[in-house]
Amino acid sequence: MSGIQEDDDLVFHKITSLLEPLNEKGVKLTRETDIIADLEIDSVSLLDVVMDIEDNYDISIPVNTISEIKTIGELVDAIHKIKKEQS
Amino acid sequence: MGLFDKFEKNAALLSQLSAAGKNPFTVVMEEVLGPTRAKIKGRETVLAGTHNYLGQTFEPKAIAAAKEALDHDGTGTTGSRVANGTFSGHTKLEREIADFLGMKNCVVFSTGYAANLGAIAGFVDRNEDVVLIDADCHACIYDGCQLSGAETVRFRHNDPESLDKRLSRLDPKYNGKLVCIEGMYSMYGDIAPVKEFVEVAHKHGAHLLVDEAHSFGVYGETGKGVSEAEGVMDEIDFYTGTFSKALASIGGFMASNHPEAEYIRFASNPYRFTASPSPSTIASAGAALANISENPAIRAKLWENARRLHGAFVQFGLRLAAKPAPVISVLLPTREDAFEAWSFLLEQGVYVNMAIPPGTPGKESLLRLAVSSAHTNDDIDRLVAAYGALAEAFPSARVDGNA
Repeated sequence: MSGIQEDDDLVFHKITSLLEPLNEKGVKLTRETDIIADLEIDSVSLLDVVMDIEDNYDISIPVNTISEIKTIGELVDAIHKIKKEQS
Repeated sequence: MGLFDKFEKNAALLSQLSAAGKNPFTVVMEEVLGPTRAKIKGRETVLAGTHNYLGQTFEPKAIAAAKEALDHDGTGTTGSRVANGTFSGHTKLEREIADFLGMKNCVVFSTGYAANLGAIAGFVDRNEDVVLIDADCHACIYDGCQLSGAETVRFRHNDPESLDKRLSRLDPKYNGKLVCIEGMYSMYGDIAPVKEFVEVAHKHGAHLLVDEAHSFGVYGETGKGVSEAEGVMDEIDFYTGTFSKALASIGGFMASNHPEAEYIRFASNPYRFTASPSPSTIASAGAALANISENPAIRAKLWENARRLHGAFVQFGLRLAAKPAPVISVLLPTREDAFEAWSFLLEQGVYVNMAIPPGTPGKESLLRLAVSSAHTNDDIDRLVAAYGALAEAFPSARVDGNA
């Protein structure tokens, strides 16, 4: 497993662990899961989850970026991109 | 079809609530009987869901000033501030607000919403600057960020350390940095540690904007707001406020000690491309402002009422969002509870606001009571009785509700 793949899995795991408490319908969380539509969470709850991610990785994810993200996979990719830029 | 699909989910809930006569969003004040009373559904009701903090909606001096302005200057300006919509009343009020706050300049907008929208979008450049906002900021601050197009970063509510962290990790590419907080937050009635925010913002070379919409006229030794109570009036960079709460009119403003701040008159669409406030609304706002200084007893009365209500609610074991403040919110676990509790209070002859997520800070819904200095002893007695009955009927509204 390459380093990037390993990191990818860790970020995915971190995100799903933060989303799980909000996953009231028990939807299976995959990279393709649409965070707002499939989990039926509101936009502010998503922003709050993102704030936890920011503090966890010590990065800043602008609100503008979040509004373009739909799926868990897109969020994982965005975090990688920002981690690279801000490291 | 298409455009309207997104309304479907809410439409079902709203029509269900309306059918049950329990829709908090379609209340009509059928007849206004005074600053704290109106007829709703044909019944005289105590109003505790307005933001008439200083009870100035029927202040005789404000009404007289508005009538005089109507007679002299007509009903409207029919133009924006940068065209034909600046009358002597507008510039006079700008001077009076600046003097009241002890600031160098003031720019009057058509609403408080437009003031934040216009200040943020006016100051922040989409390519060069960044905005950092408290997570619980009002929708107009979020919308101002969006209108500016600049990168926007949220920090944890009322947490200067969270701001410090985010400012520390900012890319050095940004030129200007604007931090936005509020004085008193309107949902819970909690106040910001403005002094700490000033220190953190300035340490990182950022400007601080404090929206005192709900705290102007209400907090501080002379009513200048939470920034005055915190002793940092001279240190904040931009002060925004509204005429629609303590001043009981409509309009908004941005005041500052930075001489350059006035340039937003030429850089801000919410200032340039909307009609200016009508002469009578400007005149009543000015008279209400003067009354804050002339009659400090109204602020004292507001606080007396707030403490009385808060104390009674604590006695009832209600789950309250914050310390005594002019906004007193009772937390309820679900929105179904909130709809039921809200209509229960209305049946008791009391009107308050109801708020549900995502319009609320947490996962909970709330009943928001806004105190007024115009609430009479009789009003307060009725509010206390209604909330006592609420505490009985809704265990979920009590601290021991889940026990």
